[in-house]
Amino acid sequence: MEKRDFKSKAKDFIFSNGILFAIILLIIITGIIEPSFFAWSNLLNVLRQISVNGIVACGMTVCIMSGCYDLSVGSIVSMTGVFTIISLNAGTPDIVCILIGLGIGLAAGIVNGTLIASINGRSGEAFIITYGMQVVLGAIALFPSKGLFISGDVHEGLFKTMGDGNMPIYIFLAVAIILQLVISKTQYGRHLCYIGNNMDAAKMSGLKVKPNRISYYAISGFLAGLGGVVLCSRVTSSNPTAGLGYEMNAIAAVVVGGNSASGGSGSIIRTVIGAVVIGIMSNALNILGISTNYQLTVKGFLIVLAVALDIISKKRKS
Amino acid sequence: MCDTEVKMENYILEMKNITKTFPGVVALDNVNLSVCPGTIHALVGENGAGKSTLMKILNGVYSATSGEIYLEGTKLELKGVKDAQAAGISIIYQEFNLINTLTVAENIFLGRYNGKKTVKWNVLRDEAKKLIESLGFSFSVDTVVGRLSTAEKQLVEIAKALSLHSKVIVMDEPTSSLTEKDVDMFFPIIEKLKADGITVIYISHKLDEIYRLCDNVTVMRDGRITGNSAVKDITRDEIIELMVGRSLDMEYPARTNKPGEVVLHVEKLCRRNDLHDITFDLRRGEILGIAGLVGAGRTELAEALFGADPAESGDIILNGKKVVIRSTLDGKKNSIGLVTEDRKETGLVLPMNVTQNITITDLDKVTRNLVVRKSEEKVYAEKYVEALKVKTPSINQTMNNLSGGNQQKVALAKWLYYDADILIMDEPTRGIDVGAKFDIYCLMNELTAKGKAIIMISSELPEVLGMSDRVLVMHGGRIKGELTGEAMNAETVMKLAID
Repeated sequence: MEKRDFKSKAKDFIFSNGILFAIILLIIITGIIEPSFFAWSNLLNVLRQISVNGIVACGMTVCIMSGCYDLSVGSIVSMTGVFTIISLNAGTPDIVCILIGLGIGLAAGIVNGTLIASINGRSGEAFIITYGMQVVLGAIALFPSKGLFISGDVHEGLFKTMGDGNMPIYIFLAVAIILQLVISKTQYGRHLCYIGNNMDAAKMSGLKVKPNRISYYAISGFLAGLGGVVLCSRVTSSNPTAGLGYEMNAIAAVVVGGNSASGGSGSIIRTVIGAVVIGIMSNALNILGISTNYQLTVKGFLIVLAVALDIISKKRKS
Repeated sequence: MCDTEVKMENYILEMKNITKTFPGVVALDNVNLSVCPGTIHALVGENGAGKSTLMKILNGVYSATSGEIYLEGTKLELKGVKDAQAAGISIIYQEFNLINTLTVAENIFLGRYNGKKTVKWNVLRDEAKKLIESLGFSFSVDTVVGRLSTAEKQLVEIAKALSLHSKVIVMDEPTSSLTEKDVDMFFPIIEKLKADGITVIYISHKLDEIYRLCDNVTVMRDGRITGNSAVKDITRDEIIELMVGRSLDMEYPARTNKPGEVVLHVEKLCRRNDLHDITFDLRRGEILGIAGLVGAGRTELAEALFGADPAESGDIILNGKKVVIRSTLDGKKNSIGLVTEDRKETGLVLPMNVTQNITITDLDKVTRNLVVRKSEEKVYAEKYVEALKVKTPSINQTMNNLSGGNQQKVALAKWLYYDADILIMDEPTRGIDVGAKFDIYCLMNELTAKGKAIIMISSELPEVLGMSDRVLVMHGGRIKGELTGEAMNAETVMKLAID
C-alpha cells in the first residue's frame, strides 16, 4: 500500500510538473554539448530577452486567473511604444513620455474591462472583445507612424535607463514580486480566485464583481503599457508591429509555468518560471543551431502539452 | 394485484429485493416493485423516500447493491442508460434532457441517426412528425426546442421515449412545472399511451393527479415500500399515512421563541413583470415561510431583497429606517444574507476549500495589515464546521468533495460567519438527507432564539408548515395570502398557490 501511494504521488508530481522536467533535461543536454550555455552572461542575456514578455505575462496571469484571456496586450505593447517614442521625439520630458505610455496601456485595459464586465461577459465574450480591441489598437498604432518604424531621439535620462542594461530584468522582477504578494496575500487576490472560479457565487456572497473584473484588465493593460515602454527604450525606437504575438507569448508563459488555463487559481511564480523556461529553451535551441521553424514547433507543442497535463492532473486529483 | 386471475409472471416489470447503499446511507432497503402491463402505476413518497434512486436503478444510472430486475419475465443486466433504453425502459426526468438549441426532430433522434454514415434528415423529420401527430399534436418538428413551452417540451420527451419503442415509461413529477391548463392538455396524452399498451410509472406528490389518472399506487418511505394498492381501494388519508408514517412533530423540532418587534417592513415592492406590490413584515426571532409553486416569484423576491436583482419601486424599511438596496453588497451591508437555492451554481465556490467558502462573505474580519491571515480564517472555519456538524475530513477540503447536505451547511455557515441579522433561505433543504435536514431545522431555531429573523422559501409544504411561525403564499409575483395559526394548513396554502 505504502509503495503504491508513493507511486501515485510521484505520478501526480510528474503530471503537474512534467514540462519542467522535459526542459531541465533539454538544459542539461545543451549544457553538456555547449558549456558556454551555462555562462552567467548568457543567462543574463536570456533574462533580458524575456523581461518584456515576462512583464506582460504577469498581467496576463491576473486575467487568466479570473477565467478570461486578454488578447489585446500585443497591440497595447505596440501602441504604447509608438506614442512614447513620438512624444519623446517631440521633446517631451522623459517622465511625461513614460506616463503617457503607462496611461495609454491603463486606459486600454479599462476599456477592455468595462466592455466585458458591463455585459457580464464570460470567457467567450472576453475572448472576442479583447480580440476586437487587439485589431482596433493595432490599427491605432499604425496611424501616427503611417505604419513605419520610428527611430527614437533617446538621450541620457529616465527613459533610457528603463531599457538599459539589466534594468528590464529588475523591473520584471519587481512587478512579479509585487503582484505575487498581492495575489497570494491580500483580499484582492482572494477575490480574484472567488471570481475566477465562480463569478455568480462571488456576486451572491456580496462581492463587487464588476469593478474587480475591470481592474484585472486594467492591470493587464497597464503592464502591457509598461512592457511597451521598456521595449521601445531597449531598442531605442518604435515599430508599430513590435508587439505582434506578445499576447500568445504571454499566455504561453502562464500556461507552461503550470498555471491552470481555465482560471480560478494561479501564481506569478509559475508564470515567471514559464517565461524563463521558454526563454532558456529558445536560447538552448539557438545554441544547438536548430532553426526557428523547429523552435516554434517545439514551443507550440509545449503549450498543448502544458494544457493537457494540467487537465490530466486535475482529473487525477478528483 | 393485476386483475385477480392474472398470475405473477404476467407483471411487465418486477424489481425484486432491491437494496442500494451509498457510503453511510441505506437509500433503498429491500424494495419490491411490481407493475402490471398497460397500467399507469403511481409511485409516491416524500422527497428523499427513495423514489428517484429506485428509478435511477431501473434506468441503469445506478447499479443496485443487490437485487434483480425483470422485464416481461426476463432478467435485466443494466450497465447504463443505453441498456435500459434497449430493453424498452425510458425515463422522463423533472429537468428535461433536451438540448434547447436543437430542433424537435434533432432532439427526438439525438445520437440515433439510423446507423448510417450520413444522416437522412428528411426521414427522421417525417418520423418525428408522425410521433408528434400520434400524440395528437401538430407543431413543427423544425422548431428549436428552446422556444417551446414546458408542456410542449414534455411532449418532445414523450415522443423521444416512443421513438425508442419503450414498453415502460417513467415520468418523474411531470406536472411539477406545468400550469393547470397544461396539465389538462397533458393528461389525455398519458391516457393515450396507456390505451396504446404502454406502461407508465408515474411519480408524483400530488394525490389529486393519482386519483385522476392512475390504476395502482406504491408508497415509499425512508427507502422502503410501505404500501401497495389499487388506487380505487385506498383513501387519500391512507396514502398520506403510508407516506408520512412517523408523526410530523418528530421531523420538525418544536419552535419555542415568540417573534418580537418588526425588523423588516417591505412596502409595495415591484419589479418588471415578476414582482407586484409585495408588502409584508418580518419580525425579530421569526421564521417566515414563503410558499408557492415554481415560478410564483419567491426566488425573485429573495433576490430583490438581497440586491442580486434589485426592485424597481417600493420601499424596504429596516429597523424603522428606509434603506436602498441596489447590489448584493448593499444587501450584505444591511445585514441581509441569502442562502441561494442552487448551492452548486451560486451558493458556493466549489473548487475552493471549506475555509475559503466560509470567509468569503467577510474577509475584513480576518485581514490584518492588508494580509488575509490564514491562521485566523482557520479559527472561524473550525468554529462553524463544529457548530454546524459539517462532516469533512478537514477544513482544507475542497467543497467538490463534500456531500450535498454538508455543502448546504457551509453555504449557510458563510452567512452565520457574517452574522447577518436577516437570513433568506431559498430551498434550504433541497436534495439533502434527512439527518442534515434536521440539523438545519435545529439551527434555524437556534438562530431565531438569538434574535435573528429568517425568511424560508420552500417548495416542500410539510417543511414550510412544520417550521414557519407564519406563511406567505405567492402566486404570479404577488402575495396571495398570509396564514397563521389554524389557517396554516396544506389545503389553504395549495388553494392560494394554485389560484
